[in-house]
Amino acid sequence: MLAVDLAGETIRALNGAMVAYEGRMAFKREGMTGGEGLRGALKRKIAGEGMTLMEVTGEGTVYLASEAAEVTLVQLTGDTLFVESESLLALEGGLRTGVQFIGLRGMGAGQGLATTKVEGHGTVAIVSDGPAIALEVTPETPLSVDPHAYVGHHGQLRQDVVTDVNWRTVIGQGSGESVQFRYQGHGLVYVQPAERGGILEI
Amino acid sequence: MPGYQKITSKMLQVPVAPGAEVYSRRGAMLAYTGSVAFAPSTTAGQSIGGAIGRAVAGERSAMMHVTGQGEVMFGHAGLHVSVVDLSGGDTLFVEADRLLVHDASLQVGTMFMGEQGGVRGIVRGAVTGQGLFTTTLTGKGSCGLLSHGGVMELPIGPQHPVHVDPQAYVAHRGQVQNRLTTAVGLRELIGRGSGEGFQLELSGSGVVYVQASERKI
Repeated sequence: MLAVDLAGETIRALNGAMVAYEGRMAFKREGMTGGEGLRGALKRKIAGEGMTLMEVTGEGTVYLASEAAEVTLVQLTGDTLFVESESLLALEGGLRTGVQFIGLRGMGAGQGLATTKVEGHGTVAIVSDGPAIALEVTPETPLSVDPHAYVGHHGQLRQDVVTDVNWRTVIGQGSGESVQFRYQGHGLVYVQPAERGGILEI
Repeated sequence: MPGYQKITSKMLQVPVAPGAEVYSRRGAMLAYTGSVAFAPSTTAGQSIGGAIGRAVAGERSAMMHVTGQGEVMFGHAGLHVSVVDLSGGDTLFVEADRLLVHDASLQVGTMFMGEQGGVRGIVRGAVTGQGLFTTTLTGKGSCGLLSHGGVMELPIGPQHPVHVDPQAYVAHRGQVQNRLTTAVGLRELIGRGSGEGFQLELSGSGVVYVQASERKI
């Protein structure tokens, strides 16, 4: 659960994520474009990266939660966070959101063709099934993660897909770890201790 | 008596002794030490009249009477368990299906939602999914509540009302008035609401327990 103290500012949060509040609050669903402009909204529609946020304004404390998921706070200082739209719980009003196409490799992970990017200065709250851990990636230590356990990443990272599909996978005797995301560069990758169901069971 | 002890966030250890028996949700025992007997109970410590009233109201979940001498571990469906201690002065209002275990020394009752606000109370019960009746616990003792994702206690003061999402509401205690507030506007009607159209406003003095999810049990 996440508690946010507001003194007249505006934050953006997942639609319907409020569980309680003290003080005076107003909840308003964002317009069709969600502050991303007409082009941004069209891109989001095409990518199927649906995201419904609401604006929360007021004075007091608002408590946010979604499906008993664990909350992790990420501080952004001008860099970009890539995260699945369903993992986004709340973000400070000053941050910008957009859609980033990631291509066909997203299909296997059940992520779809695109992911959401958040950029600017401020705090983002992301949710995960079980507590998320941040794994550091440096040029000397690249990192591979299971696409189903991937939550988000930020920093200067290059993402590749590593596949290890052989005849065993084809006949259904695979180890269940045939596809991995490989990150190289400088940054942090957030991983959750649970695996989402993907489109392809690989 | 060393009261209720949480082993993990989802498991509760309860001591049972002659004269210190408990009632629990039927089938929620996970393990026990000592010699303990479990008997299905239809009255859950109430009179026959009360039990019939509850059955008619649908505000009933199957309970069992736990007697003997030993330690019993309780848990249910991987849900979080929270312990609430009642000192005798106040009443806890909770849904019957959220009650995991409670001391036999507590008096169980059923409250008609219409008692708090008449027709408005009935509407509130229907909208929040609480039904027309809710369970009350009074007396001195402890109880274990089930929640999805753990609960948070929010104090309510006369100058400090708290608004709660009806689906995230678990229980409350104290001298609390609750009122359903709506913020339904044009946006909700055309399907573009913020998802926060209905809120429970709790005022008075007491405590409300809120869970970290909008899922019912």
